Amino acid sequence: MRCYGLISGIGSEARFSFPANHSLPTTPILPDSCSRLSFRPFAPITVSPVRARYASLKTKATINDGFLTEPEAAAMSFYELLGIPESGTLLEIKQAYKSLARKYHPDVSPPGRVKEYTRRFIWVQEAYETLSDPQRRALYDRDLAMGLHLAFSARKTYHRDEGMVAQKEWRNRWEGQLSELKRRSMNKDAAAAAGANMSWGARMRMQRNQAASADL
Amino acid sequence: MAICTLSFPAHFSQAAASNPQRLPPQCSHLFWGVDLQCQSQQRIKARKRPNGVCASLSDREEYHSQRPPTPLLDTINYPIHMKNLSVKELKQLADELRSDVVFNVSKTGGHLGSSLGVVELTVALHYVFNAPQDRILWDVGHQSYPHKILTGRRDQMHTMRQTDGLAGFTKRSESEYDCFGTGHSSTTISAGLGMAVGRDLKGKNNNVIAVIGDGAMTAGQAYEAMNNAGYLDSDMIVILNDNKQVSLPTATLDGPIPPVGALSSALSRLQSNRPLRELREVAKGVTKQIGGPMHELAAKVDEYARGMISGSGSTLFEELGLYYIGPVDGHNIDDLVAILKEVKSTKTTGPVLIHVVTEKGRGYPYAEKAADKYHGVTKFDPATGKQFKSSAPTQSYTTYFAEALIAEAEVDKDIVAIHAAMGGGTGLNLFHRRFPTRCFDVGIAEQHAVTFAAGLACEGIKPFCAIYSSFMQRAYDQVVHDVDLQKLPVKFAMDRAGLVGADGPTHCGAFDVTFMACLPNMVVMAPADEAELFHMVATAAAIDDRPSCFRYPRGNGVGVELPPGNKGIPIEVGRGRILIEGERVALLGYGTAVQSCLVASSLLEQHGLRITVADARFCKPLDHALIRSLAKSHEVLITVEEGSIGGFGSHVAQFLALNGLLDGTTKWSPMVLPDRYIDHGAPADQLAMAGLTPSHIAATVFNILGQTREALEIMS
Repeated sequence: MRCYGLISGIGSEARFSFPANHSLPTTPILPDSCSRLSFRPFAPITVSPVRARYASLKTKATINDGFLTEPEAAAMSFYELLGIPESGTLLEIKQAYKSLARKYHPDVSPPGRVKEYTRRFIWVQEAYETLSDPQRRALYDRDLAMGLHLAFSARKTYHRDEGMVAQKEWRNRWEGQLSELKRRSMNKDAAAAAGANMSWGARMRMQRNQAASADL
Repeated sequence: MAICTLSFPAHFSQAAASNPQRLPPQCSHLFWGVDLQCQSQQRIKARKRPNGVCASLSDREEYHSQRPPTPLLDTINYPIHMKNLSVKELKQLADELRSDVVFNVSKTGGHLGSSLGVVELTVALHYVFNAPQDRILWDVGHQSYPHKILTGRRDQMHTMRQTDGLAGFTKRSESEYDCFGTGHSSTTISAGLGMAVGRDLKGKNNNVIAVIGDGAMTAGQAYEAMNNAGYLDSDMIVILNDNKQVSLPTATLDGPIPPVGALSSALSRLQSNRPLRELREVAKGVTKQIGGPMHELAAKVDEYARGMISGSGSTLFEELGLYYIGPVDGHNIDDLVAILKEVKSTKTTGPVLIHVVTEKGRGYPYAEKAADKYHGVTKFDPATGKQFKSSAPTQSYTTYFAEALIAEAEVDKDIVAIHAAMGGGTGLNLFHRRFPTRCFDVGIAEQHAVTFAAGLACEGIKPFCAIYSSFMQRAYDQVVHDVDLQKLPVKFAMDRAGLVGADGPTHCGAFDVTFMACLPNMVVMAPADEAELFHMVATAAAIDDRPSCFRYPRGNGVGVELPPGNKGIPIEVGRGRILIEGERVALLGYGTAVQSCLVASSLLEQHGLRITVADARFCKPLDHALIRSLAKSHEVLITVEEGSIGGFGSHVAQFLALNGLLDGTTKWSPMVLPDRYIDHGAPADQLAMAGLTPSHIAATVFNILGQTREALEIMS
C-alpha cells in the first residue's frame, strides 16, 4: 500500500538526480512489497553521495518541516534504512552501518541538524543491532515476510506485548509451581510424621519441632 | 512540578534526621535535581512524564549527568528500614539504587553490569528476608554493590576497591551482612548448604539464600553442592541468576559468544518453553481428586504430571533434588517479592531453586548496548558512558602473551589455547579472532581445562592453558596427577601472578611458584620483561617432553624492544643472565621483581655501592652455575620474588645448603611476600605493604651490610 505515493511524486525531481550520482545496489523491491506499509523516497539517502543526500533533505524539507518523523522511519524496513538488499551479508550490513554511523554521529553532524541526525543514528543503530544478530534477524525477516513491518517504537511495544504474553505464561507457570511446592511441603510433613524414609533434613526438622513444642 | 517541590522538603527533613553528617552535599543535590526535573520536562513535549520523582531514564536512551535525588534511598541505611515500604516504593527504591550504583562506579571504577542486573533482586531479597540473621550469599561477589549500599556501606562506596576501602567482593570482616567471602566462583551453594546444615544442627530456623549466576553454574562444584543438598534435604534457597552470559562478555573481541556448553541451551529452552496449560489443569484436577489421605499416590501423580508438563531443563535440577521454580522475570519486583514470600512462608521445602532471568547492565542504556555490558569499567562519565582509559606507552603483559602465542601458532599448527571463561582476561580473545578453531573456552572449569589439555597433549597437540595464577589453585590436583605425574607436555601461562591491585587477596597470585616448583617434572620460569615473555612462550612451545609453566603479572610492560615479528627465540632451559656486574652484594630476582631490583641498584649507586643484579629466569631447573658463581664472588646473595615462602628463594636456599655454599662466609637472605594476605588497593600501595618496593630492597641490602643509617635514610 503506497500511501505516500503522492509524496514521492513531489520529490521526484530530487530523486531523478540520484541515479546519475550513485551506484546503489538494488533497493529492495520484494514481491509482497505492496502488502507492506512502506514507502521509499528516502531509501537512497543512506548510500548516495553528499549531493544527492542534500537533495533528499530538501525533499523532506518540503514535506515535513525538515525532519523524519517516527512513523515515516517506521515505514522503512531496516534493510531500506541501511540501504542494503534483504539478502545482504553480515559484511555488507557492517559496512553500511559503519558508513551511516559516521555520517549521522552527533559529533560530526552539521549544527542545527544534530537532533535529527542523532535520531537517525539511533534508528540506524537499532537496525544494525537487529540485523547483525542472526537470531534477531531471522525473527525480523519472518515478521517482514508476514507483512508486519513495525515502526521502531512500535516494535518495542510489540516486543513488550510479546513480552507481556510471555510474562503471563511465566507467571502462570511459577504460580503453579508455588502451589505444588506447598502441596509437596504438606506431603513431606505428613510423610515425616508417618515416619517414612526420612532424609537428614527431615530428621533435623523433626528434632527442631519437637524441641520447640517441648519449650512451649 | 509542584509535586516535586512539595516532596523534597519532606524528604529533606527525613534525610536530615537520619544522617546529619551527610546533609550539606545532599542539599545541593536536591536542588540540582529540581532543576533537572524542570529542564527535562520542558524539553520533552511528546513523552509522558514518568510518575513520581524518578531516576530511570533508559527509555530516553540518555542518562543523568548529575546525581539525581534519591529521597527514598536516603532513608535506608539498613535492610530493616525497608520493611515498611509498599511494593510501589520498592520499585522507586530500585530505580534510585540503580542510579546510585551507576554514579558510584563512575567515580571509582569496578564491576557495573552485573550489579545493575541484580538491583531488583537485591531489593526483593532484603525486603522479604531479614539479613543478617537470614544468610544471603552472593556468588563471586562482583554483583554485590547494591547489597553493600543497602547494608550500611553507602557512605563508603566512594572507597570501593581502593586501599583501606570497601572490597570489590563480599568479605566477612567488612560487615556482618556479608556472610561469606567470595571472589572465585561457584562456591555459594556449597557454603550455603554448610550454613543451612549448621543452622539445623544448632536448632535455629533462619533462612539461607545463595545467589549464583548461570556462568558460575558451569563449574563442577555447583553440581557437587546441589547433589549433596538434594540428598541432605535441608531447607535452603538457591537463586539462579540467569542473564544468558556464561562466559564473561569479553570472551571475544566482537562481544559475547553464544553460551558455552549444554547447560545454557537447557536453560534457554526452559525460558522459552510454552507450558501446556491444559495438561497442567488436568494434572491438577487429577491430583486434587486423588489427594487427601492418599499422600503417596498423590505425590507420585504430582511428580509424573510435573515431569510431563515442565521443560526438559528443570528435570536436571529436579533430578539433583532441588525443587525448581521459574523462570521468573528478575526485574519485576512484584513477582520476586511474591515468590520469595511464598517460599519463605512454606515450612518444609527442602532445597529450592528459583530460576531468575535478568539482563546484565539493565537500566543504564550504554551498558545495555555495549557488547561487554560494562562488566568491568574504569571511571567513566555517566551522561555519555565514556570510560576514562589512561593511555600507557606500553601494552599489558596479557596482550603481549596473546601476540606471542599467535606468532608461535602461525608457525606451528599444533598449538592450541585453552581458557576457562576468561577470553578477555587472558588475552585469548585475540587468539580466538585469529584462530577460531584452535581456541577452547571450557566455561568456569579449570580442573576440566587442565585434564582436557592433558588429553590433547597425549595426541601430540601442544596445548597452552591460560589460567590466572589464583584460579590455578582450583586445578592443582589435575596439574599434579594428570599432567606432571605422566610428564605430559602441557604449557601453563599463569597471568595475574603476584599482587593484583584492586581485586585483592581473592585474586592474588602469591602461591604459584611454590606449588608449581615443587613438582618433579615441571619447568618453571618467569620473564623479567615483555621481551623475555616472548622468548619464554617460544621456550614453552619448544619443550615437548615435560610440562612447563611461566608466570607474569598484571600490568604493563616496561618498554624494552620486542623481538621482530613477535616471534621469540627459545631460551636454553635452566640458564639465567646477569644484568649488572657489581660487587659485595648480588640481587637475584625472579620474574618482574627484577625490575624492582634494577631500580634498587640505582638507588644504591647514589650511595656509592655498585651491586650485581641477576635475572634467574628459571626456578626449575635452577641455573646452578650462575648461583654458584654469585655465591662464591659475593658476600651476600639476596633472592627477590613476588611470591610466598617456599618458592624461588627456598629452592635457591636448598641448593646453596646442599652444595656447601652456605658453609663459608656467604650470607643468603630471601625477600618474599609476607606471611599474611595483602588487602586490595593500588598496586604501589600493595607493594609497599608487602615490603618489596625498590626502597625496601635497597634498605635490606644496607641492613645486611650493617649500614643501618643508610637503610633508614632510604626508607624515609
